[in-house]
Amino acid sequence: MAAMRFIIRMAYRELRSSWRRVAFFFVCVAVGVAAIVALRSLIQNVRVALAAEARTLLAGDVSIRTDRPWSDEARRIIDGRLAGVDPLRRTEIVDTTTMVRVADPASVRTKVVELRGVRAAFPFYGRFRLAGDEAYSFDLLRGRGALVAPELLAQLGLEVGDEILIGDVTFTIRDVIFTEPGRRLGAFSFGPRVLVDRAALDETGVLGFASRATRQILLQVEAPIIDPLVAVLREDLQEEMVRVRSYRGHESRIERNLGRTENYLSLIGFVIVILGGIGVWSVTRVFVQQHLRNVAILKCLGATGGRVLAIYVTQIALLGLSGSLLGIGIARAALAAVPESLAAQAATAAGLTTVSTELTGSAMVQGVAVGLLVSVLFALVPLLEVRHAKPLLLLRRDAVRPPAGIDWARAASIGLVGAGLVAVAVWQAASVEVGLYVSAGFAGVAAALHLIGRGLVRAVAPLERAPWFALRHAALSLSRPGNQTRVILLAVGLGSFFIIGVRAMQTNLLGNFDRELRDDAPDMFLIDIQQDQADGVSAILEAGLGEAPPLIPVLRARVTAVDGRRLSFDSPRGARRAGLGREYTVTYRASLAENERVIAGRFWDDVPAVEPEISIEEDLRDERGLELGDTVRFDVLGREIAARVTSVREVQWDDTRSGGFMFLFRPGSFGAAPHTYIAFMQGPADGDARARLQRDLVARYPNVSVIDGLTVLQTVRRLLDYVTLAISVVGGIALLSGGLILVGAVAMTKFQRIHEAAVFKTLGANARMLTLMLVLEYGVLGILAGSVGSIGALILTWALARQVFEIAWFPSVFTNAGGVLVTALVVGSVGVASSLDVLRRRPLATLRAE
Amino acid sequence: MERAGEHGIPWRRVVACIAGLCCLLVSACAPAATDGEDHAVSAAPAFLADRAAGRAPDEPLIVAFGDSLTAGLGLLSDEAYPARLQEHLDRAGYRLRVVNAGVSGETTAGGLRRLEWALEGDVRILILALGGNDGLRGLPIDQMRENLAQMIAVARARAIRVLLAGMESPPNFGTAYTDAFRRVFERLAAEHDVDFLPFLLEGVAGVPALNQEDGIHPNARGAARVAAHVWLALEPMLGETGAAR
Repeated sequence: MAAMRFIIRMAYRELRSSWRRVAFFFVCVAVGVAAIVALRSLIQNVRVALAAEARTLLAGDVSIRTDRPWSDEARRIIDGRLAGVDPLRRTEIVDTTTMVRVADPASVRTKVVELRGVRAAFPFYGRFRLAGDEAYSFDLLRGRGALVAPELLAQLGLEVGDEILIGDVTFTIRDVIFTEPGRRLGAFSFGPRVLVDRAALDETGVLGFASRATRQILLQVEAPIIDPLVAVLREDLQEEMVRVRSYRGHESRIERNLGRTENYLSLIGFVIVILGGIGVWSVTRVFVQQHLRNVAILKCLGATGGRVLAIYVTQIALLGLSGSLLGIGIARAALAAVPESLAAQAATAAGLTTVSTELTGSAMVQGVAVGLLVSVLFALVPLLEVRHAKPLLLLRRDAVRPPAGIDWARAASIGLVGAGLVAVAVWQAASVEVGLYVSAGFAGVAAALHLIGRGLVRAVAPLERAPWFALRHAALSLSRPGNQTRVILLAVGLGSFFIIGVRAMQTNLLGNFDRELRDDAPDMFLIDIQQDQADGVSAILEAGLGEAPPLIPVLRARVTAVDGRRLSFDSPRGARRAGLGREYTVTYRASLAENERVIAGRFWDDVPAVEPEISIEEDLRDERGLELGDTVRFDVLGREIAARVTSVREVQWDDTRSGGFMFLFRPGSFGAAPHTYIAFMQGPADGDARARLQRDLVARYPNVSVIDGLTVLQTVRRLLDYVTLAISVVGGIALLSGGLILVGAVAMTKFQRIHEAAVFKTLGANARMLTLMLVLEYGVLGILAGSVGSIGALILTWALARQVFEIAWFPSVFTNAGGVLVTALVVGSVGVASSLDVLRRRPLATLRAE
Repeated sequence: MERAGEHGIPWRRVVACIAGLCCLLVSACAPAATDGEDHAVSAAPAFLADRAAGRAPDEPLIVAFGDSLTAGLGLLSDEAYPARLQEHLDRAGYRLRVVNAGVSGETTAGGLRRLEWALEGDVRILILALGGNDGLRGLPIDQMRENLAQMIAVARARAIRVLLAGMESPPNFGTAYTDAFRRVFERLAAEHDVDFLPFLLEGVAGVPALNQEDGIHPNARGAARVAAHVWLALEPMLGETGAAR
């Protein structure tokens, strides 16, 4: 008890005596923790908003879907599983394609529409946006009311209040739907949406025997039971051709993008912890070194090693804790100021759930825990040196010599720190996989930096005899005992590794989004254009769009045989075993599309083929075993065509401008085989012009079907815009706070320069000479640290992109080269700038104080 | 690792679907579940040298002309109904070859333009089974009737016998449409005096055990049932085709 009181009293006294140095330590911890708390809060709030979006896409927590009428067995299973679930809300919806006629007998106009029947409880999440002033309520549908998409009114020449016929039943159009929840993003629309009461749907007769309809049961349940419920329902309903999914299921691309964004954000949360940790570590190290003389005095006065250790661990813990608390204050202030624009922009851009700018409780707890944990963990290793501080130190400066042999306590504490860090990594990343990846990257870069630090000292050894004084001493100081070479290499190298990594990952993620968000992404598709209709269709499109899109010829083909190096078969069974058993849609053209690149072989020139040739998509080579030079036999429209593989293509599937084909034929391969055309285009942005164009096309060529992807594309755009904003803002904040932390770490090294600079000045060096020495020394260190960080970041982003986020990886030269440069500049200027007061200080004052 | 492009708004599938004009249900266009199985490597067949491409000019043919129901969407080519029909012919000793000229997603408009090409060679019988996609997409009935009538005329002009297979449209578009749709086939058969099978999917449509998950396309068992059904209508026509037994 007395010992404890002594430790606390000593810790307090020491803090008081070295207040200015301590204050710096304190600020470093605070900045680190502030970054953690602010970013994690923001990230958590963004994730809440993302989850809300995902729920809106489904309009519920869980969806159970079937393309057939519910069988009694399926009903029984579902009812059985839901019997024990409480609280539970449940509603059913039916989707079907049907034809709407104008009720006025004078009109013969009809339109194929996507009809949805809902009950009063729909939707559980999300809101309808209607044209009228009235908010959506189920009352609008009662008594044979219908809500319709604006295109329907345009195409049938109707207005709100008019009547339409569905089957034999008359409905009144009550309002117009602009956006609706629960719209599956995977599904393209074959017509405008019409929403009616589920009960009224039965009377129309469109749901009769063998009707094409999708029936869905939507559930709202408590969060923890969603995943287990989905799992048991899937298991139980295997035989029933029923699909079960939760709003978290990443089945559509946009949902996967939401998931990736979540992963990315949690990764940043983790990186910022490491950066904060690095700052705390380098500060702790200097702090401990500066207190070694005090330790010696304490030991002279009879303090034991353990007690001294306890004094300093207590100090660090106290500082860590109060620094963390200050950090929370900073985080609150920062969050209140910075992301106001994010919340506002996101909300206006999307009509979204606003992103909250409150600090979340869990982020605060995590921030303080991490601040405390990291500072104590990182402080432990340098503090262990305290045990070896001998009273002799008071008389001889170099008396801190670790005893020979392995220092088990040191080794154990290093192991502890390592394990602690991995645990923190996994905790923060909320994924063992991601945590381990990043930890491995961390360890690899740390090891590389350590080796390079040694190599550098050796490599610059010749410079120690350079004729130029500044260079000679810059080189010498890199290898002097107690120098900052390794510290800066490690701190800045790791820091730039993470910062460049985060930045490059962001570029990669956003690059992937960009290809989906291309302004020229097609939103209207035509199918089933006959050969003799091609010119007429082109003319109508030219009139409506200004420029007619190319018509793409398509044929259907089956692979019947392959004679190849790796793959060889001559039967339908063989085709199925090879994974080639399905019908393929194929095309022919003389050149590559914008989204294609030949990765093997040679693409044909303009001359028509002498013998049939094909270019295959890379998956057919990598996954299916086809090779260059193989001969593939196809059944095309009942005839056989054997074609040789002459090139392999990579197709950017995200880029939808010209579609993608697994098999591409050289023109001339099919002879006179009849085929149809498809076309991808951007329809007119103006709704009326769009409806008019579609109406003209279908009126003239009824067999041509127009598929409108605009609604889907708009939803995807809106979400990706929002996600992009979130990623950019969070990434920017991470960059900023990471930079601040590193600046702190580099600036700390100035305390080692005070004495050195005084001696140099006494010996006649002027401030310019000293500055030059500093610039050279820090500049070299910066370039080295930046290079190693950059290389590490390349490897990290590659691994993350391919293994975790499952996206294409593009090395971002700009980010990496820029990273090296900026790192060198920052290290150089911060190193020099922070030492300016050292340069100005009169040497005698320093020497006396020491 | 799965490619991102395989997921999601399944662009690849959507493109395949749209391109393939196949059907209204996106799910039906999913690649057959067999993708991803191990590659089969057997002894290299010397088929490329042995078998001449195209058709032997003197071989008497039956052309099964139609959409995905004929092409056998989701099935192996030897499970589709024309292949099964060939087995019936072989067992009965006819030396006629059945050509599968089905194209998934095809409408009567597309069929009309493709017919000439499909009728090349010594075609004795045309099994005309189109209209399903017109019905699924709610296309105008008059146009469908006109297209089918022209196709019958083309075959007649070449002295090819026609077996017209009727289709039903689902009740989605209302009873008026469904009834008119059904009557088209009955009237055509009567007016042009062709052999008539009232409904290609008789006894198969709507029976879960005989259909694939999409509820539209017969599975292997369903296709065999279709073949047996077509065979009943086809066999009486064979005596007059001149094909040796």
